[in-house]
Amino acid sequence: MIAQTQMQTSGEPALLKLRGVSRRYGDVTAVQPLDLDIFPRDFVAILGPSGCGKTTLLRIIGGFVAPTTGTIEIDGRDVTGIGPEKRPTNTVFQGYGLFPHMSVRQNIGYGLRLQKRPRSEIDDRVAEALRLSRLSELADRSVTALSGGQQQRVALARALILRPKVLLLDEPLAALDLKLRHAMQDELRRLHQEFGGTFVFVTHDQGEALSLANRIAVMNAGRIEQEGGAETIYAAPATRFVATFIGDANLLDGERRDGEVRLAAGPAFADAGPAGAVSVVVRPKSVSILGEGEHAEVELAGTVAEVVYLGDHIKCTVGAAGGQSVVVHLDAATASRPAVGDKVRLGWQLSKQRIVSA
Amino acid sequence: MENRLTAYWLAAPSALIFVVLFIAPMAFFVVLSFWQVDYFVLTPAATLANYRDVFVNYWHVMAFTVALATATAVVTTLAGFVFSFLARFRAGKWAQALLFIVLITLFGGYLMKIYAWKTILGNEGVLNTALIAMGFISTPITTLLYSPQAVVITLVHFSLPFAVLPIYASMRGVTDIEVEAARDLGAGRWATLATVIVPRCQAGIVAGFSFVFLITAGDYVTPLLVGGKQTMIGNLIAPQFGAQFNWPLGAAMSLVMLLVAVAVIFVFRTLVAWWSRP
Repeated sequence: MIAQTQMQTSGEPALLKLRGVSRRYGDVTAVQPLDLDIFPRDFVAILGPSGCGKTTLLRIIGGFVAPTTGTIEIDGRDVTGIGPEKRPTNTVFQGYGLFPHMSVRQNIGYGLRLQKRPRSEIDDRVAEALRLSRLSELADRSVTALSGGQQQRVALARALILRPKVLLLDEPLAALDLKLRHAMQDELRRLHQEFGGTFVFVTHDQGEALSLANRIAVMNAGRIEQEGGAETIYAAPATRFVATFIGDANLLDGERRDGEVRLAAGPAFADAGPAGAVSVVVRPKSVSILGEGEHAEVELAGTVAEVVYLGDHIKCTVGAAGGQSVVVHLDAATASRPAVGDKVRLGWQLSKQRIVSA
Repeated sequence: MENRLTAYWLAAPSALIFVVLFIAPMAFFVVLSFWQVDYFVLTPAATLANYRDVFVNYWHVMAFTVALATATAVVTTLAGFVFSFLARFRAGKWAQALLFIVLITLFGGYLMKIYAWKTILGNEGVLNTALIAMGFISTPITTLLYSPQAVVITLVHFSLPFAVLPIYASMRGVTDIEVEAARDLGAGRWATLATVIVPRCQAGIVAGFSFVFLITAGDYVTPLLVGGKQTMIGNLIAPQFGAQFNWPLGAAMSLVMLLVAVAVIFVFRTLVAWWSRP
């Protein structure tokens, strides 16, 4: 609902500015009018479920899809009507789109050859890119003879060699298996640091977004629900959707009346705001089982419904009043393990919860 | 060892077909081209007279044939490429319908197309009549029909499917992402065409060109019906195996023409490969 655009502390002007950008396909609106600012050297994740319009948004930035309304500005220049070949952006496509009729070296040098750079400059920069992406050994192989991870690195090198102002990545890790995905995450972080550029990537994987990006824009149904630092998004989700999409979260129903929120599960606390239904978001890690004589700012009573051992932590589901259930993560090493059917008191600090409109 | 033997046995049927249908007749032709005909009897000999005859008396016919076939093949390959490009990248859901139309024209008979063009290009044909009716000309353009152009037009029309099918088949292998990647890396529409689409369709382009060139170079019906006084080599080869009864000369003509055709296709292939170099 709220497209929060937080200015960075450095005060640098935004590198990429979207203003009122939307895209309709016939009767279907893929992207609702939205604003987005991306600052130099940011690593931004556009995160959302499939069909939320995130890829369309990336393609609008890259110049492959013309926005129905709005303007796109990169580094102070309006690029709205400019094709992808003239934009200071380069893209790593989901299927990579390597040229099978060219070797690794020729793929990487393609952009520079189009720019008609001198032969020696092309050779030097390609050699450098091969070295940086650890592809020197494979330089003269056909790209069709490479593994998925190697192809991914060729696609990255081919885009980065042109020193784009903004590098766009469409689900860059989706096609890789789990182990390779972690290796590529490290690789992307390293490239982002060494290259010092601005990366924008699209993903449906919240873990990937949190581990790679320093800023996250969460999209749902064509809207940016929240945009901000990765930690802010996790700790202070602005909407119910963001809270549930990023990390595990308990959503407790409540109602606000006369400056007080009363939860269906029992507790009440003061909170200013308009009257109406609200949801209280609290992470399972922030909730603890209170011992005899222990107290917390928000407390509720319930019965343990399920206990699951998950290696590093114990997931404990507690049924509370009003049909509400609360998940608690307990440290497997230290906590005493509750049993199903135990009567327990749960508690957390007010600072650990977020109240969002239901 | 046993595996290898099995492999040979498995390959035997196709090898047999290849030898019987392709190698043996060709070998027979090679031998025949050194023979001669004495009083209407084929006589084994080892003479180069037939080849001398080809190069002395028929070289200009051969040159004309190669020129006309090359022109037809170039025009048809270009048209086939444009058609394939439109079907692959512009037609969207109509692509299948467009290709179906191309296939349909293959079933329309060969002679029918020739007569269709006779009707269109003739002195009292559709084109001349229309032009006169519209007042652009007062007397029919007599050079439309019975000219090399008429032969080229007819053969282009006839052989277009043979160019479209292989080119479209290879173009279908070019993914949309490749095209987008090219544009993303700085290629405009023409550069994308030149550096990605054409190089990716090399095999199809060469196959299409070869089909059309071979069909055209060997054709002897079209020139008879819509061509002018200039004959094609096929018009001279055919009678050697009929009325003229000079099989050795016919064989020599065929073999020389075959080598020339292989050379032309090789040159074309080299040109396409050179164009497509990264």
